[in-house]
Amino acid sequence: MRFMLIFTTALILSGCYQSESSLKDSLIYCPESNAHSYNPQISHDISSLDATTHQLYNRLVKRDPTTYNYIPDLATRWVLSEDKLSYTFFLRKNVNFHQTDYFTPTRYFNADDVIFSLKRMLDQDHPFHAVNSGMNYYFFNHPFTHLITDILKIDDYTIKFILKKPDITLLDSLAAHYSVILSKEYSELLMASGTPEKIDFYPIGTGPYKFKRSNDAGITHYLNHAKFWGDKVSVNNLIFDVTKNNTKRYAKLLTGECDIIANPAPSQLKQMSKKSNILLSSEPTANILLWAFNSNKMPFNDKKIRHAFSKAVDQKNLLEAVFYQSASATNSLLNHQSWAYNRRSTDIQYEPLEALRTLQEIGYDFNSTITILTPVKNSLFNHSFHKIAELIQANLLKIGVKSDILFLTQTELEKRLISGDYDTYLTAVNGKINDPDSIFRPLLSCDSTVLEGNSSQWCSKEVQSLLNLALSESNFTTRIKNYYKLQKIIQEERVYFPIAHVLRMDAFNTNISGFLVDPFTGINFQHVKKTEAR
Amino acid sequence: MLNYLFRRLNLLLITALILSIIAFIISLWSDNALPDQDINLFMLYMDYMTNILQGQWGISLINQKSHMLNGLIAFSSTLELCLVALLTSMIIGIPLGIFAGIYRNGILDYTIMSIALIGLALPAFWLAIMLIMLPITFDLGLPIDGNISPIYDIPLITGFQLIDSLLASDLYNLAAFVDRLAHLILPSVVLSFFLTSEIIRLTRHSISLVMKSNYIKAANTKGLTVIQIVFRHVLKNALPPIIPQLRLQLNTIISIAMTVEIVFSAQGSGVWLLTSIKGGDYLALSAAVIIISGFILLSSIVIDILQIVISPTARKMLYADK
Repeated sequence: MRFMLIFTTALILSGCYQSESSLKDSLIYCPESNAHSYNPQISHDISSLDATTHQLYNRLVKRDPTTYNYIPDLATRWVLSEDKLSYTFFLRKNVNFHQTDYFTPTRYFNADDVIFSLKRMLDQDHPFHAVNSGMNYYFFNHPFTHLITDILKIDDYTIKFILKKPDITLLDSLAAHYSVILSKEYSELLMASGTPEKIDFYPIGTGPYKFKRSNDAGITHYLNHAKFWGDKVSVNNLIFDVTKNNTKRYAKLLTGECDIIANPAPSQLKQMSKKSNILLSSEPTANILLWAFNSNKMPFNDKKIRHAFSKAVDQKNLLEAVFYQSASATNSLLNHQSWAYNRRSTDIQYEPLEALRTLQEIGYDFNSTITILTPVKNSLFNHSFHKIAELIQANLLKIGVKSDILFLTQTELEKRLISGDYDTYLTAVNGKINDPDSIFRPLLSCDSTVLEGNSSQWCSKEVQSLLNLALSESNFTTRIKNYYKLQKIIQEERVYFPIAHVLRMDAFNTNISGFLVDPFTGINFQHVKKTEAR
Repeated sequence: MLNYLFRRLNLLLITALILSIIAFIISLWSDNALPDQDINLFMLYMDYMTNILQGQWGISLINQKSHMLNGLIAFSSTLELCLVALLTSMIIGIPLGIFAGIYRNGILDYTIMSIALIGLALPAFWLAIMLIMLPITFDLGLPIDGNISPIYDIPLITGFQLIDSLLASDLYNLAAFVDRLAHLILPSVVLSFFLTSEIIRLTRHSISLVMKSNYIKAANTKGLTVIQIVFRHVLKNALPPIIPQLRLQLNTIISIAMTVEIVFSAQGSGVWLLTSIKGGDYLALSAAVIIISGFILLSSIVIDILQIVISPTARKMLYADK
């Protein structure tokens, strides 16, 4: 009986429970999936980038989140040589690496670390090149790989990049997520102890937070890096708590178990925007949802057919039905914020009758069935390929075109794509760096394989030469002109039907401020602040 | 008495043998190396048993820790949930059962029993999912996910986080303890829905049996009030028989707790088994068989023996049985 009394008291005591968000020095972020590793050089998915790029590491240069200009990070300034073939970078002094349970740095950051980190990707003989690289570096950063002849150390705080040919995308590549700077001293220690693979899972960087530990329940702890060279962060404990179910993520935001959640489900947005204590952040991404026509195969080798099919799909309805407010309709492969985006691109009109007429004129065989390939697994940004595919199917049926939707797993899909035996393919691609080339080249270049992105099997001399020309052009205006021309061509040819740019959404409680989301390199908690009031 | 103990332990040994064979078969099957003809299965089993007894249960593929450690930590969390739910439902269920038993076939009885029936009929996992919606529909700030907030870094001492968080009170004062308790509320509400119904039914049955007996009638004629009768005579006689019947519910409670844990992502044996199976780490299954069924076996025997020690009627039954 007495025990019961104590127990009841304890239950009543839990009424004093205050939600976690009332603790000011701890911030909990709830992403949708686990980071694959803690190094953005080898893991390029959004979850890994969120967990690493801005939190653990620094790069030589970064982009200003508002103006998109290049600003110093670990390099204080840089100079381009007269012949445009070499860049000289001057490095920041007195920068500390993280001190953790597993590593204590004995020296400051210097040129050796830069050369070690970048050459890991570029140089096949680098001792760490093969470590953990189940993935091919080339696939993700080939602009960078082709760019550089050598990286030279002038002195401890000066390095020089020698380019193969004049190329203005070097800064873009150095500001990209994969150009983070690791510690060379740490790598030598790991190599000596025979566990080089730890470099990507027990990370050491120079960023504002240091890695503490992660567990198999998907919780990662970061600590404030006390000797950080820049502004001190105001949050001591940064915690990533992976919550896969989106209903639960939303509920956890409301209960205060999460301060910020990633990717709220589109269907929750309306309700969220009504709540006074929740704010939504949305950022345009370079992600594009598109419907590719196989231009190598009948009937889609005919431009008119491709146009007719594009007109038959009700883009606006599709967006409303699937994305609510989490995506913006588009008429171009490029993000509308991109400097190369051609503002004179014409919208694709929904004209089913016109489409039907064209098909009848050409003599399209209405008894035939076209295939729509689509992956079973939804990518992080596109919540429902199958819904979109079904809406397209319904639209096509309205004008009498029969279609089959094939949901395929990754391996089946790859097999099918390589065989070329498909009519259309519904997919999404994500730009890796903020350069139009990183979207256009995989999708349109003759050298790009279907697995690298060219799912329309597109190859034309004109497009190829424009792509190459734009890359070597250092005159910015000419470069823009080239891209405008390129966009005009692909719009006329209708190689792809661009459907939507998906927005990156995050929801957070009103007592949180100052976190930044970069569509290319992930979320940034460096300037985040948490106040007590809710 | 000694004879009884011996018989009980004998039964324990036989059951334990069968269980260990089941665990052994699972571990054989999960090794993917079904032995050839020339390998002696008996010797393999003996090896397996020596390893188990020495505490070498294999290493988890998922977090490189021993299966025994993983299993015990996970199971202690499940047990904690079960205990909290049991206590809560006893606090609610016993008074309700007493009312229903005293006013048998009255309106109060029917109301309580209907509610209890609903509690018994609701699937636990469904109820759990509904409770997760609570913070979304109403502004209820109870935590719905995990064992304890990741903010608190509780050192592992006993494995029971309620106790561990109390022991760590020098770090967080009582905040961690309260947080753990708050995390237990919703899962234990789900679990106690089922349990409360069961306790109400048992209490009601036992109370109404006692109420019919002659000494209660005698007390009535003596002019005692209902409250006096209940506290002096009914409770003392009605409550002890409930305990062994509750024991029979033990395995149901644990298995329901495991599904509830999965819904609330509480890091108990449910989640442990699920992630192990998903990760292809089937040795965890045999560890779970040993831990969970071992616990149920032992606890039921301990309860049996305790009952013999405490209750004279049970002792009488024992001798009559003989």
